[in-house]
Amino acid sequence: MSLTVFSVAVLFTSLGAGVVGAILGLGGGILLVPILTIFYGVDLHYAMGASIISVIATSSGAAASYLRTGLSNLRVGLFLVMATVTGALTGALLAGVVPTRWLELILGLALSYSAFTTIRQLGDELPRDLSADGLAIRFGLEGTYHDLRLEREIPYRARNVAGGFVAMYGAGVLSGMLGIGSGAFKVLAMDYLMRLPMKVSTATSNFMIGLTAAASAGIYFSRGDIHVLIVAPVAVGVLAGAYLGTTVMARMRNTTVRKLFLPIVVYLALSMILRGLGIHLL
Amino acid sequence: MTPTRPAFAVELLVARVLLVGGLVGLALIVFGLGLYAAHGGFHQHVLLLSRPAGDAPPGVFTSLRQIGVGLRHRPVDPLALSALGLVLLMATPGAAVTLAIPSFLAARDFRYATIAALVLAMLLVSLLLAGAIHS
Repeated sequence: MSLTVFSVAVLFTSLGAGVVGAILGLGGGILLVPILTIFYGVDLHYAMGASIISVIATSSGAAASYLRTGLSNLRVGLFLVMATVTGALTGALLAGVVPTRWLELILGLALSYSAFTTIRQLGDELPRDLSADGLAIRFGLEGTYHDLRLEREIPYRARNVAGGFVAMYGAGVLSGMLGIGSGAFKVLAMDYLMRLPMKVSTATSNFMIGLTAAASAGIYFSRGDIHVLIVAPVAVGVLAGAYLGTTVMARMRNTTVRKLFLPIVVYLALSMILRGLGIHLL
Repeated sequence: MTPTRPAFAVELLVARVLLVGGLVGLALIVFGLGLYAAHGGFHQHVLLLSRPAGDAPPGVFTSLRQIGVGLRHRPVDPLALSALGLVLLMATPGAAVTLAIPSFLAARDFRYATIAALVLAMLLVSLLLAGAIHS
């Protein structure tokens, strides 16, 4: 393929991935890796290198905007990143020791349940219960953001912080062991377990995914998986898309964001169950 | 409640670091690609999308030293400039957390200064562990 055609096509594809990633709190890898490998014929290693850069670019572009507007909660992000990074380290050490197929099946079933709970919550614009959680108060896991769609200040406070922390640790272990991104799990834990508003969950996930991706980006780089001519249009497109995505998401309803998020959970659940059964979609 | 803090002060700093890191990285990537195009790179080059065995193809840098060699070369290797932009982008989240630590301390939020320091330490450990496993 000619470099010019490839660069322009990948730039626009990445623009779309950046918009979706910024809205849903995902790095874009879930979209970019299959597109780059299947439609553009990019080697899987280069595609994964491009994906890790796309996660950091989405995070930098989106979180910079979300932190300024208060949609992304820095304290919630830092508090939970402790759990995911520790989990990812544990998972990396356990990889190869514990058989993964059962884990993939269990994860697939857990995600199916999450999809079910997401469907049940589809109509909930905001969490109704702002009751106190000891850990949330102690660690200041609360905040307020101005909702452009609802045209008012929205106060929120995390609930079930211990459960959310444990879930984040588990998500980190699984992502370390199975080599999968964990943006979707972060959003699910914040939205479902900690009962944060959906937009706060995806915006905070955007900040967190950049940190976890940065931890592994060095290894992709030193392994030679980051090809400048493949990654450059991805980075440019995703950064621009992420910025665009933040302006779109700020004007969306929480329920709309959750509806857009649902297919991702269903896809992840199916792909994990199939992987557990020995069928790899990619 | 967390100790008193100026509203959004740390958040604004972290946001600014992410924005500046992203934009400077982006500028270097685009500038490098522009130079590459000006040198006729886009006309001559048919992109090899599979990973060849043996030596890394043009556009793949595996160490900062290699990027440094490309930048010192005359004329400058334009792809080394883009690679520098990518490295800057990769370092941006870590830089944001690093700068958040003194900012939390200034706000007398010692709890989150400690948490940010712990996160930074864990990022470094995972980077080192990954490097050790790789080598």
